[in-house]
Amino acid sequence: MVFLRSEEHLERWLAGREPGATLTAEDMNRLARRWWWTRLDQDWVPRSAEEGQAILGELGLTGDFWALR
Amino acid sequence: MDELDLRVRRCVYGRFVALGRAPTAAEVGAELGLAVGEVEDSFRSLHDAHALVLRAGTIELLMANPFAAAETPHRVECEGRSWFGNCCWDALGIPGALHADGRVESECACCGEPLALEVREGRVAEGAELLTHILVPARRWWDDIVFT
Repeated sequence: MVFLRSEEHLERWLAGREPGATLTAEDMNRLARRWWWTRLDQDWVPRSAEEGQAILGELGLTGDFWALR
Repeated sequence: MDELDLRVRRCVYGRFVALGRAPTAAEVGAELGLAVGEVEDSFRSLHDAHALVLRAGTIELLMANPFAAAETPHRVECEGRSWFGNCCWDALGIPGALHADGRVESECACCGEPLALEVREGRVAEGAELLTHILVPARRWWDDIVFT
């Protein structure tokens, strides 16, 4: 999961590999905040796959690529 | 993952935040009044549950996501302290987990040129033109979390 300067740099970095998912920095920030927001909570318990999938869905990250299992 | 594992995990994360680095099993044991072997057993359980990541073939912490135990290209500053994130997702996750503004200094995966992002009040205030890419589909993230 990497940062890239532009679409041109992404294409060069992929070097013919099949692309995965490209997110803007702001979309990745929204995902990261939502995903890790409770990580330091004192009452943290593991998140189920269904809960994780729901978070991805709330952010519009749906489809086979984003299927956790 | 039992109650002891959750106590060990809380301690690991607390020490990560406080120290800016991963604690050792001995440090966790001293804080919780546990034998090192008990902490190591718990580290293994937490690793198996994907609640933290151990360095391959060892009992040393490699990741307590979003925090990285090793130096990475993704340095994060929040509230005058710094950590390393494991990847772009984790780097932006550190200000999220701390509920704080933050600055991420990283590099373009293609050309290696430095890049920076500022997160203020929950939004990317600098570096919003940058892109991120996830190569591995979600169901395979934990097949090799270091590569992911």
